[in-house]
Amino acid sequence: MIRKTSSLLVLFLFSFIAVFPILYVVAMATHDNSAFAQRLTDLDWMQADLKNFKKLILETEFLIWLRNSVLISITVSMVGVSLSSMAGYAIARYRFPGHKWILRSLLTTQMFPASMLMLPMFVVLTQLKLINSFVGLLVVYSSSALPFCIWQMKGFFETVPKELEEAARLDGLSAFQTFYRVILPVASPALVVTGLFTFMTSWSEYMIAAIVLQDPALYTLPLGLKSFQASIATDWGLYAAASLIISTPIVALFLALSRFLVSGLTVGSVKG
Amino acid sequence: MKPFGCLSFWLRKKVLSAWEAVAVFSVILMFTHSAFAEVRIQLWHSQMYAHRKVLADLGREFETANPGVKVDILYRETEELRSAYQSAVMGGSGPDLIYGPSDQVGPMSTMGIIAPLEKIFTHEELAEFHQLALINYRDHLYMIGDRIGNFLMLIYNKKLLKEPPKTVEELTATAKKLTVDIDGDGRTDQFGLAFNFTEPYFFVPWIGGFGESFLSADGHPNLATKATVDAFTLIRDWKLKDRIIPSECDYEMANSLFKQGRAAMVINGDWSWGDYLEAKIDFGIAPLPQVKATGRWPTPLVGTTGYSLNPNLEKDRRDTAIRFLRFMLSSHAQEKFTQAVSTFPSLLRLQDSEAVKSNPILRDAVPIMARGQQMSVAPELRAVWDSLRREYQSVLGGVTEPEEASRRAQADSLAQIDRMNETLAPDGTRWIVLAVLIGLLGYLLFHSIKGIKAIRSARTGSLKFAYLMTLPAVIALFLVVVYPFVFNILLSFSNFSLMTFRDWKIVGMQHYISAVSDWSFYGLLLKTMIWTFTNVFMHMVLGVGLALIINQTLPAKPLWRTLLIVPWAVPQYITALTWRGMFNREYGPINQFLADFLSLPPLDWLSDPLLAFTACFITNVWLGFPFMMVVALGGLQTIPHDLHEAARVDGVSAYRRFWLITWPLLLPVLKPAAVLGCIWTFNSLGVIWLVSNGGEPADQTHILVTYIYRAAFNLYRYGHAAALSVLTFLLLFLLARVMTRKEEVIK
Repeated sequence: MIRKTSSLLVLFLFSFIAVFPILYVVAMATHDNSAFAQRLTDLDWMQADLKNFKKLILETEFLIWLRNSVLISITVSMVGVSLSSMAGYAIARYRFPGHKWILRSLLTTQMFPASMLMLPMFVVLTQLKLINSFVGLLVVYSSSALPFCIWQMKGFFETVPKELEEAARLDGLSAFQTFYRVILPVASPALVVTGLFTFMTSWSEYMIAAIVLQDPALYTLPLGLKSFQASIATDWGLYAAASLIISTPIVALFLALSRFLVSGLTVGSVKG
Repeated sequence: MKPFGCLSFWLRKKVLSAWEAVAVFSVILMFTHSAFAEVRIQLWHSQMYAHRKVLADLGREFETANPGVKVDILYRETEELRSAYQSAVMGGSGPDLIYGPSDQVGPMSTMGIIAPLEKIFTHEELAEFHQLALINYRDHLYMIGDRIGNFLMLIYNKKLLKEPPKTVEELTATAKKLTVDIDGDGRTDQFGLAFNFTEPYFFVPWIGGFGESFLSADGHPNLATKATVDAFTLIRDWKLKDRIIPSECDYEMANSLFKQGRAAMVINGDWSWGDYLEAKIDFGIAPLPQVKATGRWPTPLVGTTGYSLNPNLEKDRRDTAIRFLRFMLSSHAQEKFTQAVSTFPSLLRLQDSEAVKSNPILRDAVPIMARGQQMSVAPELRAVWDSLRREYQSVLGGVTEPEEASRRAQADSLAQIDRMNETLAPDGTRWIVLAVLIGLLGYLLFHSIKGIKAIRSARTGSLKFAYLMTLPAVIALFLVVVYPFVFNILLSFSNFSLMTFRDWKIVGMQHYISAVSDWSFYGLLLKTMIWTFTNVFMHMVLGVGLALIINQTLPAKPLWRTLLIVPWAVPQYITALTWRGMFNREYGPINQFLADFLSLPPLDWLSDPLLAFTACFITNVWLGFPFMMVVALGGLQTIPHDLHEAARVDGVSAYRRFWLITWPLLLPVLKPAAVLGCIWTFNSLGVIWLVSNGGEPADQTHILVTYIYRAAFNLYRYGHAAALSVLTFLLLFLLARVMTRKEEVIK
């Protein structure tokens, strides 16, 4: 009994810590700009209102940014998941020359300070005429998420028993059919988790979007959000309100899928 | 497999078919976007909200007057405008015009990324502008301003004081009286003075007040003077002795306090007037008060905000851009700005116009502006700001004495200028580099030929299938990761910097030699290691601990798991900035908590070097533990329940059960996650950058990656930064090798 109570207490404490900063953002979003120069306890909650949200939707281009972000993130997560599940499957199941090299380079690519890759990346995109287009952003996002996703998919495929494919092949399915019709459905939890990760990265990525997109009509949410934060005079109320709206779908997705997260996140799984 | 069985049946239909539908839909939508027709001109700027509206209106007006022309006006934050514009022009594109403060002219013209304007405008045209609005550098005209100003002054709330102080002593005395704790709870509710005092831009006017200029006539730093020492002492006393300014106060804080009527005076620029008018503050403006000892007034920097032209434009786009430029500089456009946001026009004939004369603030501003000194546009100024910022912040923190700091600021800025302006010449090591590169190329070529052969010979077998499956991913990775990576290695051997922006070449290993022979590199490395290991350790402890607790039979299990995942789900740039707000000394909930529950005095989270680093650490721990928790939860599920049961029946204590059963079985799951965690933490730029505002105080919170970022984008030392990043990569590679050696988890 004591153990249970103390466990619950610990959980309560940490959940509070985990959620508290979000409450702080709520306070900012529902008060005017000066709220951050006041103590939370001094804020007049009777004065809380939704003005910032109204202004955000009516006076800024928030809805356009939202549409762009949704579009980009969904496409990126689909491309990312397709490529990484294909590659992950091949790596998990086949031993081919270059196999080891690919595996090693997956982890290695994570080691390079990403900020330094910006400039050359920009040059490549310019040469390919992909600057200022969604396609450019799609290429960069889906490939930069690949190493982690391939690793993650490969880890999952290794937990799938080989007998499954053997049976399918005996039934006369081709290698690709086996992959698409038999293995992929089984791997749904991992697909969902991988998709969630790619979605999340492209949903909240800022630095690459800032150099690739130049047309305000193509702006994604993080870029738009950043425009409230001028070098001088940030509109904190709008910033906080937009932050909340941006976070909501991603948090909702995360929470809805948190069950899969536990079974599908196989970063840690070893062959066996 | 069982749990997946029915799940997968359900998901198979839902996920896959939904997927296909959305894929088609998205592809269609993506391509509908690329249809542009008319002539487009693009303007990038870094103006505040109120000014953006005027710009947008003028853009629309130009569009109506010029059918077929579309004007895109794009806001970018100052620093970002700079770096994005640099990369864009380097890649051969970029906006037609940029609109920003004059200090960008020096670096940009040195790089050759803005075009000279003197041949475009006639002498007569140029003669109509105020001298301060025509920005020349090295005998060419690179920018024309549509306003002059951008200078600091004392702005006071007329409700709180009738007359502005005339001298510094008067200011201190008045501010002391106005710094009060109204409700008697032991905290100051109203400050006498507030300003962004940690920024050197707000500090240098005072050096002038004490009798020296911080730059000599030829643009060299002049900081080792008594005037600098006196000015350091003045601000330090205001902060630590007289306590008339909030002890943590950035621009936002000062602005917000003044707008709430909780700061009697604020030091701010002409750009803030519009904001204060909107907040309905009855304010007056005055010069920064006289320094009695010297009889001088502080000398705020006076500059302009203006337009520069992209040199890469084709003929007709360029003509349209110039037409637009003329329009934006016209008296019509300037009047619009003056009316809407009270700017001081740069056209001489407008300076006596009704719009200026009838504006009481502008009338008062003219004599204040006359006391200022012209803003230097030399690229060297950046190095001066950088060194001065560091020393100045350490004086304010009470770490360094003013005399020492002024000497060090001078020496350091000279050294930085040297480094910034150096153009490395090729030396003997170039041949080593070339040999290594050729060797590497040969090796790669050999292997790719081998690979291609292998694919071709695997025409029929299952290997061909494996290759086809991996090929798309490999191509994508090559394009976006491998190529930039190789490019970056090339840069690290080159002399790419401010001076050689458009014609850099491979010069040898100088950057590596200078990096490894610099002691501060090892200090940074040690700090990065400590940062990485303590962070990952905390992530593991919290993650595993919470996973163990959740894994028991408890009520509302999904709820706890859900709540604890929140830090992972919310975008990082939002939470990092939120934490910065929470660490604020006066108003942040963290100090409030410490005071209310633990009766601790407020901590200087963001202005004490160690505490600032701790603040970044706390934020990062908060961000990272959910990932480990989820991994650990997954691992715990794979541990057979009967193992625990059997041990329990045998009377093994819970503590021993953990170490004997759970830990060994969890370890193989946790280890790769820990390696990945180390890599991510080692390279985590965002948290430190956002929480400590780019390394504040005094560049004390840097780890390797943030330092590299700063070197590359602040001082234009790309070659140097590239070499450091390659070193970082090698170190991390070694580290990961050591960590995974025993079990070869990567394999």
